[in-house]
Amino acid sequence: MPSRTGSHSPTGTGKSLPERGLLLLMVLVLLEGSVLPLGAASSPDISHQKNVDNHKVEDEKNYTKKAFPVLDLDYHHIQTPFEISLWVLLASVMKLGFHMIPRLPGIVPESCLLITVGLLVGGLIKLAGEKVPPVLDSQLFFLCLLPPIILDAGYFLPIRPFMENLGTILMFAVVGTLWNAFFIGGLLYAVCQIQPANPSELHQLEILPCLLFGSIISAVDPVAVLAVFEEIHINELLHILVFGESLLNDAVTVVLYHLFEEYSAAGTVTVLDGFLGIISFLVVSLGGILVGAIYGILTAFTSRFTSHTRVIEPLFVFVYSYMAYLSAEMFHLSGIMALIACGAVMRPYVEANISHKSHTTIKYFLKMWSSVSETLIFIFLGVATVDGPHHWNWTFVTVTVILCLVSRIIGVVGLTCVINKFRIVKLTTKDQFIVAYGGMRGAIAFSLGFLLKKEQFPMREMFLTAIITVIFFTVFVQGMTIKPLVELLAVKKKQEAKRSINEEIHTQFLDHLLTGIEDICGHYGHHHWKDKLNRFNKKYVKKCLIAGERSKEPQLIAFYHKMEMKQAIDLVESGGGVNLPSAVPSTVSMQNIQPKKPPPAKPVEKALPKMTKGREEEIRQILRSNLQKTRQRLRSYNRHTLVADPYEDGFSELLIKKQKMIELEKKIQHMNNYLTVPAAPPDSPTMCRARLASDPQAYSSKPAAERVPTIQVDLASPQSPDSVNLMDEFRRADQQEEDQGLMMKPPSGQSGPNRPGEEDRGREQQKLTRCLSDPGPSADEEEDEPFLP
Amino acid sequence: MGSKSSSLNKIPNAQELMQETGFSAAHILRLYERFEFLDVDQRGELRPEDFGAIRELSMNPIGDRIISAFFSPGKEAVDFASFVRILAHFRPTETNRTRDGAQPEPANSRTRKLKFAFQLYDQDRDGKISREELLQVLRMMLEMQVTEEQLQSIAERAIQEADLDQDDAISFDEFRKSLEKVDIDHKMNIRFLS
Repeated sequence: MPSRTGSHSPTGTGKSLPERGLLLLMVLVLLEGSVLPLGAASSPDISHQKNVDNHKVEDEKNYTKKAFPVLDLDYHHIQTPFEISLWVLLASVMKLGFHMIPRLPGIVPESCLLITVGLLVGGLIKLAGEKVPPVLDSQLFFLCLLPPIILDAGYFLPIRPFMENLGTILMFAVVGTLWNAFFIGGLLYAVCQIQPANPSELHQLEILPCLLFGSIISAVDPVAVLAVFEEIHINELLHILVFGESLLNDAVTVVLYHLFEEYSAAGTVTVLDGFLGIISFLVVSLGGILVGAIYGILTAFTSRFTSHTRVIEPLFVFVYSYMAYLSAEMFHLSGIMALIACGAVMRPYVEANISHKSHTTIKYFLKMWSSVSETLIFIFLGVATVDGPHHWNWTFVTVTVILCLVSRIIGVVGLTCVINKFRIVKLTTKDQFIVAYGGMRGAIAFSLGFLLKKEQFPMREMFLTAIITVIFFTVFVQGMTIKPLVELLAVKKKQEAKRSINEEIHTQFLDHLLTGIEDICGHYGHHHWKDKLNRFNKKYVKKCLIAGERSKEPQLIAFYHKMEMKQAIDLVESGGGVNLPSAVPSTVSMQNIQPKKPPPAKPVEKALPKMTKGREEEIRQILRSNLQKTRQRLRSYNRHTLVADPYEDGFSELLIKKQKMIELEKKIQHMNNYLTVPAAPPDSPTMCRARLASDPQAYSSKPAAERVPTIQVDLASPQSPDSVNLMDEFRRADQQEEDQGLMMKPPSGQSGPNRPGEEDRGREQQKLTRCLSDPGPSADEEEDEPFLP
Repeated sequence: MGSKSSSLNKIPNAQELMQETGFSAAHILRLYERFEFLDVDQRGELRPEDFGAIRELSMNPIGDRIISAFFSPGKEAVDFASFVRILAHFRPTETNRTRDGAQPEPANSRTRKLKFAFQLYDQDRDGKISREELLQVLRMMLEMQVTEEQLQSIAERAIQEADLDQDDAISFDEFRKSLEKVDIDHKMNIRFLS
């Protein structure tokens, strides 16, 4: 591979000049480097191959001894994986690059930039004279690139708002898409047929291909919507409306597409076909959901048994979901709906079963894959655009673009008038505008167009050109302007705050209240059915799908447990000060890792309930007195007064240490059972042991003042300073017990003298150390969803 | 329609009730039918036992509290007017209804709804939710599935979060503040009462 030595002047301003220069260099190298191998895909290096073959043949015949090839180039051996990796690398480096440029990410959405890069790469490949690989080949797209994005969306779908607005979403998805398809298709046909005196190629277009085109272009695309809406942080309602619509309209699109494609050849569609189409729609959507739900339950059930093999837990989630998608696609059901159903169904149960680390793994893998997929899709869109084949027809394209806009606006406005009669929280004009404006088309439309066969549809190229134009228009124009428009119209933004325990309690309370009132009124409404579902879930489903004790854990407790955990982790991360003001938990490092969300405003410290002054004083007294006692003992230090003589009989010391350890462990276990229903028991004994034996954390943050001036057994002793400390801890702990009845546990000494008295702290720190290496579930609004709405 | 107005006449003070609560004639009628259905003894008023006969309500963790909310302190029975007034709290909020200062705040305003919920917590009507009252509610909701320590921790934390004036109890304003992000208008609504 050729490499360019740097003769580039770094662009960009400011301090990271060398960095930017380096990045640019890397990018250009990659681009250049990628062009040739990718181009070489289609025109293999035949000559080289032939030479090798010839050599081989010759060797066999003549057995002439050649020099042993020390270094050899065999590109074809690794060609395909290499290219794939190169594309992925290109996509990721591009992503990096954008965020280094100062103001660009704010103005231009990522999707636009990525398409531009794709155009560039496509252009380069074409310039180099190679054939552009058909990257947006529908197999690749539908089977590899789309599922991660949809799974990510489905797994983290906020169930509560989704269910609350389900009626609205369905209306938009089904009726809206149908309206769009027929309106666009019909009007296009009409437009194509005008000017009968001047016959153009457009006249060849029949009504059915027009309708087919209409159905392809009318569907709002989840990838594009996600890409743009992620960056504008709009309020939850609007987000879920547009996003939900983009997910659920897949069924409609699938049915319409197949219907029109089938009958395009025949040329007519009868009423019977229409009727069958409706039935097909029901089958496709409900069937897809059913398939997804079945796989979701399977996953939940499997995860029940994974307590001994935690490492492969994430694998089950991914593989089962993917199989749900594939199974649905096998029956021509809606794969997207299957994936959504699978993710949404499995989530509450799987999360109750798996460990913290698996949870984190699943989350990050999903985000990573979906991010890469999205990037790749946009780049490929750019490449495919350059590839063509294009057939530009001014009338067709401009009419399409205009019609798309018009039909969307009319559709949204019209539907909202109807929907608002049934909604409690009505949709305002602003909301309607955002919903209409946010209807972006994307790669799905292009792939569907790509799938059309040339023989059946002679106008295929024209279709493709029009589709690409619409996609470009929505992504570039609408994508770039939606953010300033949102600011301009002062649309409500997303609320960043987390759910507090008060909200949780009161919301549950209100749920019960509303259910009760509904029962009094004799009205079987929303709450009634939700309550019934919850009861059913608690009674039967949870028992089957959640392992062990967790199945009985009430939702409130689980929520509380999570909150405490988060808080404890935050406390450790923020250094564990003495006097922490009460506020929202810090979100320092966990949020930073999330690729799509912006860093939070400020890390605020929070903590654990403060103790009253009196109590603090009390504890200080205790500690002081203890300190004195040990000092006294120390003054009369004499090697023979120690419990175990460190110089000699190491064995007895060991025994005592072991005994103390066992006692302590028992105490810890006992403590552990206090706050929570024991979750994941296999973790605790091992972790406890590990912690006691060698965890530096347990001793590191102890302030020096408090530490008993330890018997600085100078190192003729086999004991490490650590174990001697341990001895001291035990002695002190015992003493505390005997003297005061206060449980002062060694690990809890870690956060300073003010806290040890509280049992809560001890417990929390144990949980804390258990998950210290892994930040655990990060503070995220998705996290705060209760298990079942 | 003739029949409707005549059956409306059966209901005492129907017009005033409609005026006061904002219910339409159809709603009042429907509620009256329900009232009569619950009133098995045809006494013209409901007693706690009548409420208790509703099966789903007895399964509700806070069922007893809800029932007692219908009865003003000291009274043993609730007549139709009070019944309707309580249920008026659950009408959807109208945002664009112009109110002149003279009218009392409508029953379905956000504040009134919150006040109703608050009173369900605050049984002794001292204007604050004390720790004990919160614990009681938690105990009812969690239905004996948790230990006492867990309850204590949760109550402790809840009060910590909400209590701004450090009096170890949640006043109505603090209660309202802690729920400011929750869409009460949406939550405390019975659809058919719109």
